Amino acid sequence: MATAMSSHVAAPESPRVWWGVVPAAALAAAAAAASVAFALAAGNPDVLQVFLLEWVGVPYIVAGLVAWWRRPQSGLGPLLVAGGLASAFSGWQLADSAGAYTVGAAFDIVPAALFLHVCLAFPDGQLRSRFERVLVGVSYAAAVGLQVLKMTLGGVDPANMIELSRQAGVVSKVEDVQLLTLTAACLAGLVVLVRRRHGRPRRRSLGIVVTSFELALVMVALLFTIATFDWPGFQEVQRLTLFVVGLSPIAFLFGLLDARLARSSIGDLIVELRKELAPPDLRNALASALRDPSLDLAYWLPDFKTYVDLDGRPVALPDDPDRTATLIERDGRHVAALLHDRTLGDERQLLEAAGAAAGMSLENARLQAELRARVEELSGSRARVIEAGQRERQRLERNLHDGAQQRLIALSLRLSMLEKRLPAEPVLKRELDVARQEIALSLEELRDVARGIHPAVLSGHGLAVALESLAARAPLPVRLALEVRGRLPERVEVAAYYVVSESLTNVAKHARAAGATVSLERRRGQLVVEVADDGVGGADTEGGSGLRGLADRVESLDGRLRVWTPRGGGTRVQAEIPCA
Amino acid sequence: MRVAIAEDSVLLREGIARLLDDAGIEVVAQSGDADDLLLKVRSYSPDVAIVDIRLPPTHNDEGLRAALEIRSKHPDVAVLVLSQYVELGLALTLLADSAEGVGYLLKDRISDVDEFVAALRRVADGGSALDPIIVSTLISRERPDDPLAQLTPREREVLELMASGSSNQGIADSLVITVRAVEKYVSSIFTKLGLPSTGSESRRVLAVLTFLRT
Repeated sequence: MATAMSSHVAAPESPRVWWGVVPAAALAAAAAAASVAFALAAGNPDVLQVFLLEWVGVPYIVAGLVAWWRRPQSGLGPLLVAGGLASAFSGWQLADSAGAYTVGAAFDIVPAALFLHVCLAFPDGQLRSRFERVLVGVSYAAAVGLQVLKMTLGGVDPANMIELSRQAGVVSKVEDVQLLTLTAACLAGLVVLVRRRHGRPRRRSLGIVVTSFELALVMVALLFTIATFDWPGFQEVQRLTLFVVGLSPIAFLFGLLDARLARSSIGDLIVELRKELAPPDLRNALASALRDPSLDLAYWLPDFKTYVDLDGRPVALPDDPDRTATLIERDGRHVAALLHDRTLGDERQLLEAAGAAAGMSLENARLQAELRARVEELSGSRARVIEAGQRERQRLERNLHDGAQQRLIALSLRLSMLEKRLPAEPVLKRELDVARQEIALSLEELRDVARGIHPAVLSGHGLAVALESLAARAPLPVRLALEVRGRLPERVEVAAYYVVSESLTNVAKHARAAGATVSLERRRGQLVVEVADDGVGGADTEGGSGLRGLADRVESLDGRLRVWTPRGGGTRVQAEIPCA
Repeated sequence: MRVAIAEDSVLLREGIARLLDDAGIEVVAQSGDADDLLLKVRSYSPDVAIVDIRLPPTHNDEGLRAALEIRSKHPDVAVLVLSQYVELGLALTLLADSAEGVGYLLKDRISDVDEFVAALRRVADGGSALDPIIVSTLISRERPDDPLAQLTPREREVLELMASGSSNQGIADSLVITVRAVEKYVSSIFTKLGLPSTGSESRRVLAVLTFLRT
């Protein structure tokens, strides 16, 4: 057995990645180390503050480097590293040196903007809409541009080297604008994240990271609001915020670890697969082994050149920011595709192992899906044949109605008007009368023919009205119990009509019944039609009773026709026709 | 008498207009579809509207809906519905509330000009006209312990005419008997069938119809 895989996900890490990762790691380590050194050298250091800055900076840098190394083409790694760097630089504010302080002060707010960028660009490093790009752009402008403006106007410590003048009033206004802008941007980012949640469940590890982002965005917005309005408790909230922001990269690293751990679950998967799982359980086993609750399977049908789900319905392979597909081959042939969260694409070895383990089971499930697809196709073509026949009958009836019948009536009218103008001439009058009677007879016959082709009253006025006439014309007493209001889909009405009309004909011909009951009822999205008689029962359900044709009609609508006909106990014909 | 006609076959529409004209009845409006008919009924207030049950665009129930709308919005305009098929269920729908000023006839009936004009006048005067096919379907309908079995042949004839909307005078004319005799038959029928007496001639149509339906 040979199981091969190919994937929409791009190739694994290449050596060129090192050219980016190594210098970034070095730079980040230096910046972080410098911030600690500056803080400790400044004398009377606020140890907790230093710790919290590194608590944010270091995990971001580590998570960023790992992400960069694993998925070099994704922008997320560099972005995370940048976040950590900015955090380290902002720590330089604690330095005594004026130069380092100036750099630190300039970076004071930048981590917040970078953090928002990370939240929105997670997990693939891309912003997904124009709105998100605008949001991030505005945040950077506020965090960098307004910060520099503040510093030139003397808004921070005098040690700041780019101070040009001191204008406390203007500075306070600028700062309000800056902080409120960022607060609004964070809240808008939060809304974006919450709205993205709707839809399918994502991988557990992603869910945890996104939750940590949401929490941190709330904290940042709260912190800036407190700063703007000088509410008490700024320092406590600041520390709490730093703590929460530092959780996100840890959650991210935990997710990576979780995926590593998932490989050990392949062993469980193999044990599980020995039990010859039913295809739905196969999906569940794979979803839990891959830790992706959103996992779906699609099976390849070579004859139809398409992927289908287990019920044989065509499925399109996704390729969007959230989802992608991994194709599974066996002995050089396509078997199936795993449709999964895009981030699972990082776990190529895991996907490969799972695909290999499940190869045989997937092939079995594929055969089932193929069978279902063929059955679906067959019943689809039966439904189309019946429907085409029905349309043809309706067309014929319509032609008769608008053509021959209409003309005969007009002709008959013409004859009688002619008759009125003629002088009293008994022989001629009699001739005309005979002619008109002939026309009346023809009309009657045509009407019967037309009704046999298609009961126009059914399409015009619905099942209840049509059954009323059917019952009145039946050669035995028929009781109607119609619990259905309004119109139903036409094919459902037509099928139900023929069930009743054919059954009543059978009752009249064979049942020797004193009466029959016709009932219509809607039950759980189905129309239930029942015709019951009190006759001799023991009906022939196979021969020329027309029941086979009725069953065809009902089954073509995914319905079911059943007949109970005990000898001496009457006959009951019941059709259940789906009509959601 | 002023009449509006809605019929999408031009051949038949003009035929009907001509036969009415010949009978000295004024045709104030001719329509090919239901919307146009409703508009013209509103503007010309005819005494009676003749409506083909199958009208464009779908030829399903536009005519019936127009007839019902005229009944509810213009109670002073009588409605005579024509159709190439007469169905009990539709008769019951049309006469659901009252049989006054309503008719439902097979389209073929127009060629029997005198009877058609008589039925039209009856409907315009607030009476009713129900096609004999419906009445005979109802009367010959199979019932357990058929209560109609108690009626004499003459009483059955009177019942049929009564159900199709004839007045006592009309029944008397058809059967060549006196109005007085008709009244006696009617009260005997009502007693035998256990129907309460209704007084008005058009209201008894509904009573008889309801009875025959079951």
